[in-house]
Amino acid sequence: MRKVKILIGTFILLLGFTGIAFVSEKNKVESGKPKEPQGVIYYESEQFGGPEIVYVKPVRGVLFSHKKHVGELGFPCESCHNSLFEMQALKSQENPDFKMETLYQGKYCGACHNGQAAFASNTKCATCHIGVKGLKEYMRKLASKEKK
Amino acid sequence: MFKGIKDWLLNLKNEGVEQVPDETKREFLKIGLIITGVFAGGSLFSVVSKVAEGLESSEELHKSYPYKPHYSMVFKIDRCIDCELCMEACRKTNHVPDYGWRTMILRRYDESALDQKIMFMPILCNHCNNPPCVRACPTKATYKDKKTGIVRMAYYKCLGCKTCMVACPYNARYFNEEKHAVDKCDFCWESRLSKGMTITACAEACPAGVRIFGDLSDPGSEVYKLVHQLAKPVWVLKPETGAKPNVFYTIS
Repeated sequence: MRKVKILIGTFILLLGFTGIAFVSEKNKVESGKPKEPQGVIYYESEQFGGPEIVYVKPVRGVLFSHKKHVGELGFPCESCHNSLFEMQALKSQENPDFKMETLYQGKYCGACHNGQAAFASNTKCATCHIGVKGLKEYMRKLASKEKK
Repeated sequence: MFKGIKDWLLNLKNEGVEQVPDETKREFLKIGLIITGVFAGGSLFSVVSKVAEGLESSEELHKSYPYKPHYSMVFKIDRCIDCELCMEACRKTNHVPDYGWRTMILRRYDESALDQKIMFMPILCNHCNNPPCVRACPTKATYKDKKTGIVRMAYYKCLGCKTCMVACPYNARYFNEEKHAVDKCDFCWESRLSKGMTITACAEACPAGVRIFGDLSDPGSEVYKLVHQLAKPVWVLKPETGAKPNVFYTIS
């Protein structure tokens, strides 16, 4: 009888250990790989007519700022919507032609950023390309705002 | 004749220092001081004579390349957009852990700057011609490859003393816990170049054409053309260290 008790006890202990190990391993996998963001839509304030948008495709960390274009430069919504960009934020990054070559042909941002109306798309790269570091900053901002 | 000397030496008995007169001791010490003085003076002289070498003009520096192929990288720095695809490719190719890095992108941010407020600067090991890390390593675990000029690591020799990490003026080294050795960029020598590929993983991954990799001793290569011209500025990082780096920066 005693032997059986000891045997059952050992079995329960073993099961417990494997269970703990399995759960912790699963948590590790889940927490170890943070999900790649599909872009950031950050509302600084409603008065600028739109959010700060950080694209992640085709390269990570490209900022379009409504604050700059509408708030500071005073462009009306009609200058871009819906001819160049759809109203839904981050929608255009799903298009396969959303890349620098298309911009040089005068589409998307390239409609104004052609060297005449605004600086050309193939100059001053880091003005719009805020990079992974910039993207992370906006994600942090967004997270802290959501907490509030 | 020499056999006799050997026997004589072996049969000598220790007389002890009690019997030695003070004057002999003093003379012996003087010899030691003279020898030290000669060495100290010599190193001082060598410092003086190396000043000119450190200030060598770029034309002289580029006249001859000691390695063949003389691997080098040129950054068109204004094109970098910090997409970090290079870092990703490097991690994947060379199995760099999350806490370490072989190449990195630095950011300069200036709120008061006109227009563009951010600038990115990619960095990696400069594979110096006069590498301070190689001089610092006590076990010769890091060495300059005699053929290609790549500063490489012999991981099995590394003690993990991290002296090289302190010596490197470019902060291009990290301690790899898994290898228990210091790890660094080797221009993908182990993972790619030695297997017949001609370009590093980071240069291949860069979508903006920032990183240009090639043989600086080959006048037909792109790196040669980018470095040997005066139309655009070309510079190296921390030239004052005299390390003579093989990574150059320019603008597009």
